[in-house]
Amino acid sequence: MSSAPRPRVAALALAVGLVLADSSIVVLALPEIYRDLDTSIAGVTWVLVSFNLVMALAAVPAALLARRVGPARAAAVGLAIFAGAGLACGIADELSTLILARCVQALGGALAVTAALELLPATVGSERRAAVVWASAGATGAALGPAVGGILTELVSWQSIFLIQVPVALAAAVPILAVAKHEAATGILATEVRRTGRPHLWANLALAMVSAAIAAALFLLVLLLIEGWRLTPIGAAIVVSVMPLAAIVGSRLGPLVPSARARAAAGAILVSGGLGGLAFLPKAEVALTLPPQILVGIGLSLVLSALTETALGGRAPQAIHGGWTISARHAGVVIGLLALTPVFTADIAEQRTDAINAGTAVILDSKVNPLLKLELAQKIEARLDGEKGKVPTIGPAFEPLPSDPGERADVEGLRDELQEQLNRGATHAFSPSFLLGALLGLLALIPIALSRRVDL
Amino acid sequence: MNAGLRAKVLVGAAIVSALALVGIYLAAGGSSYTPEKSQDPCQHRPWSNPEGLQEIANQFSISALDGAACQLGVTRETLARALATPEARERFSERYGIDDEKLARAIRAGLLRAIKDAEDAGALSPLIAGPLRGTIEEIPLDQAIELINNADSLLGNVQSILGPAGELLEEFLP
Repeated sequence: MSSAPRPRVAALALAVGLVLADSSIVVLALPEIYRDLDTSIAGVTWVLVSFNLVMALAAVPAALLARRVGPARAAAVGLAIFAGAGLACGIADELSTLILARCVQALGGALAVTAALELLPATVGSERRAAVVWASAGATGAALGPAVGGILTELVSWQSIFLIQVPVALAAAVPILAVAKHEAATGILATEVRRTGRPHLWANLALAMVSAAIAAALFLLVLLLIEGWRLTPIGAAIVVSVMPLAAIVGSRLGPLVPSARARAAAGAILVSGGLGGLAFLPKAEVALTLPPQILVGIGLSLVLSALTETALGGRAPQAIHGGWTISARHAGVVIGLLALTPVFTADIAEQRTDAINAGTAVILDSKVNPLLKLELAQKIEARLDGEKGKVPTIGPAFEPLPSDPGERADVEGLRDELQEQLNRGATHAFSPSFLLGALLGLLALIPIALSRRVDL
Repeated sequence: MNAGLRAKVLVGAAIVSALALVGIYLAAGGSSYTPEKSQDPCQHRPWSNPEGLQEIANQFSISALDGAACQLGVTRETLARALATPEARERFSERYGIDDEKLARAIRAGLLRAIKDAEDAGALSPLIAGPLRGTIEEIPLDQAIELINNADSLLGNVQSILGPAGELLEEFLP
């Protein structure tokens, strides 16, 4: 081999983390993209869905291709495609262009991630160690993605999320290129292994169901924070960073329990419990989202690692079985998003109407001057009209506040009460979707229980 | 602790944590949210201690809105938002199939109900209510339509109806 193992391991881990971060990095930018490209919630969901769908479909063929053309060459080419498509995402000014570029990005990403799993055993010394590095890098990327995306969206723009990936992907490709040259020189493309075992059906099925539940937790929580409660992307990034922090705690718990089945079951229960908590938030307060996030974070760390280990354990080639786990996880994300989006989109519309009616009643019953009520009603109506069915930001309708101190206090009270009505309505609108996510997490217990080879 | 016991403890702890969180949130009112439903505008809405001309004008407007909404079969919230802007009124007309003439008749009916409610609440003397009722009944339909074309003028007119009688009203206030 022509490059030192440590930079190579770092490059491979970086590649895996970067690609898997992309399935979630865009979550906090969705509301910004939603406004910037003037689309619908269902439309913007496809920025997320398209990437995960192509990853799900392309992971196994990409693994086969990587073994055929050489994993280093495949990883380098995959990263180059990923970088190029990331550039296209960053300069896209239409939703269709962005979605197309995301599909190409996922193709490159699938090639890079599965090829990385093929390269890692030779680099780190064992398949088991390779699987741990690969799974950890992926989990770290997926966990850090939303926070990084939120910070970049707030400080720079949503486009910067994609543009910043270009140099990072190219930097990860450099040490891998040296291995690719070695592959070309020796003609050895992939480690010869005896094929052992079919894909682990139950572990992969459970992975898909749990991933659907986790996608629900992350995607819905972000939308609730930004669209429902009007937090800034950076504020939402700070709030949802509780989940990856809790995942770190969960990763420390894992090694204490050798039974993968127990870890998988406990993880699925915790994810469902967290989603259940989010479904029954007693008030529209950020602090109340923290305990559910802690459960989801610990749960996802336990269940994803246990099921990935199970799916890969004793099977070869690793790249192919790794491809199946990638495929299952991303298919789960797609199913979760596609199943839940219509549910909460319809609920948001209904709750919005109820909340607006309740808010109007608050204004009508208030003691402010009737002409001032009319002025407020006109401004609120204009805002509702301008936001075309989206959850409205009602605060600006109350500006400028009256100069008379008494009237000013009345109007401020009205504004807060109306906002409270809208916040409660928005919070309630997400409840059925969170409950559906919790149900998906619980259903994952069935394949976990059915699995005969879960314990390693 | 052996491996089997650790596995049971982990799963048990997960079940307890999940149930505890959901239970606490439910106990704190997590499932109790129901959006406040709009009140039936045909039901009488009591006047709450009207004190001063502005408060009477306020209650009068609400009663008028309730009366008109009752006549049209919509909530007063829907009608209030429909009257806020011409565009909102156009959308309202299309959605409920209510033309300007029907809306104007409803507004007139609403104003008459407001006078009755004010009288019942003891906020308006029959000495004032009678002439006011006569004035409203005689408002020509086209003038009523003109009033709803400009909600500012509608409310302005409610106040102007009450305004000239202000001094008298102050004397008859409870």
